Amino acid sequence: MPTAFAAALLLTWQALVVIFGYPKVILPAPSDIFVALRDNSAMIWQQTVPTVRDTLAGFALAALFGVGLASLLSFSRLLRDAIYPLIVVIQLVPKIAWTPLFIVWVGIGWPSRLTIAAFIGFFPIFIAMMAGLESTDRSLVRLCRGLIATPWRTFWLVRLPASTPYLFAGLKIAITLAVIGVIVAEFISSSEGLGFLILQSAALLRTDIILAAITVLCLVGLVCYGAVHAGELAVRKWHGE
Amino acid sequence: MSIPAAALRVVRPVVASPGGVAAAGADYVVVDRVRKVYNEGSRQQVEAVAPSSFAIKAGEFVALLGPSGCGKSTLLMMIAGLDAPSQGTIGVAGHALTQPRAETGIMFQDPTLLPWKSALDNVLFPFLAAKRAVGPADGPTRARAATLLDQVGLGGFHHHKPRQLSGGMRQRVAICRALVYEPDLLLMDEPFSALDAITRDEMNLVLMKMWEEHHRTALFVTHSIREAVYLADRVLVMSRRPGRIIEDIRIPFARPRGLEIGETVEFNEICGHLRGKIQHTPQ
Repeated sequence: MPTAFAAALLLTWQALVVIFGYPKVILPAPSDIFVALRDNSAMIWQQTVPTVRDTLAGFALAALFGVGLASLLSFSRLLRDAIYPLIVVIQLVPKIAWTPLFIVWVGIGWPSRLTIAAFIGFFPIFIAMMAGLESTDRSLVRLCRGLIATPWRTFWLVRLPASTPYLFAGLKIAITLAVIGVIVAEFISSSEGLGFLILQSAALLRTDIILAAITVLCLVGLVCYGAVHAGELAVRKWHGE
Repeated sequence: MSIPAAALRVVRPVVASPGGVAAAGADYVVVDRVRKVYNEGSRQQVEAVAPSSFAIKAGEFVALLGPSGCGKSTLLMMIAGLDAPSQGTIGVAGHALTQPRAETGIMFQDPTLLPWKSALDNVLFPFLAAKRAVGPADGPTRARAATLLDQVGLGGFHHHKPRQLSGGMRQRVAICRALVYEPDLLLMDEPFSALDAITRDEMNLVLMKMWEEHHRTALFVTHSIREAVYLADRVLVMSRRPGRIIEDIRIPFARPRGLEIGETVEFNEICGHLRGKIQHTPQ
């Protein structure tokens, strides 16, 4: 059903452009976008690789730090009370606003883009993981105490696996945010990536290439999100749902 | 059962009682003037358990009976070492209790199974959670866990996850988990209270059978009078909050007991007596 609706939308778009003869610079028809995609495929592919690479690396870093810090805080009430509220407050600031600062700190190369993706992706992962760890069934934790399990074993065997469904909710948000982070960073300062291509094409009034790049970005986003979603389904199945 | 229950019965070495005399039927659990107060010193101070003393002999099945909220579960949690008494001492197997023991088996009100582990792996969880003499991969241990599941009637469900099992089946898995490491003391906190009446009768039969096969010193907390009389060698009655022991009677029925003893006059007289005790508790 959504596929049929999307197809209908594309057809209407094509028809409107053809009937009213909008100039290609303002609104290219879907067929123009397809042609742009085909004629520039090597160049677009070349710009897709760094974007995907930075997104995935940033996402991986975000997951590492998000899960790591949440796990650390789950062991210490004191640390948790000191750090958690602070992170929630930082979280409220639009993260994109930090981007220029990171470029100043880390430089204009891929490390800064990766850092921004990791920074933006960190918060939803951290917060979801905290929620997962805090909502672990108390009776399971008590069972572990009764079975004289150490806090570390209780964490590893019960709290961590019990929080995986929460974690995946955070990962799903984080992967989309990581893409946004990389694109914004590429807008601000970069000489490669789809964000750079979009900005450059805008300067050249190549609307068709902009939309071709956005199409590729859509696909990238879909594939990344789909992969995380598949991971979530696997975890839910493991939990016997 | 093709093998007589007596042959399967594990004879536990009786640990020296606090007096130093080792004897069958010695006091195994000694609760001495134990009191529990929550929020001590604050305006909301609540005395959950008034100073209570009793002892459980080795091999004895004792039911702790009382109305909801009388502190009986608190008392059990203290004997499990999961909660500390405000006053008084608890001794188990001749040692003062300061923390949970590796040799105590506990069943909670909920089955508390790990949802991502199969029934068999849940039964083996005690070997994974803490270092014991053998690990969960040990062949004879796995075989024992499988046998236990068969004994409670879960023969075809070893690899099912908890969500695929009914409430009664999950609690059967929990029984096996509490027995698999051959605890010397079995503590049960209203394990069947969330089940419907028919399943509950069934579970009582399963528990009876398992207890007769794996003879253990046992304490069973319940608010069901009939359940207490049916299961136990001895019933302790607790008053309303703050809970204290107001009655201690021996249940005379021979074992193995079938559910039909519930129809006898004597059974119902005992139940009537206990009901009277619970209802006429002075506040």
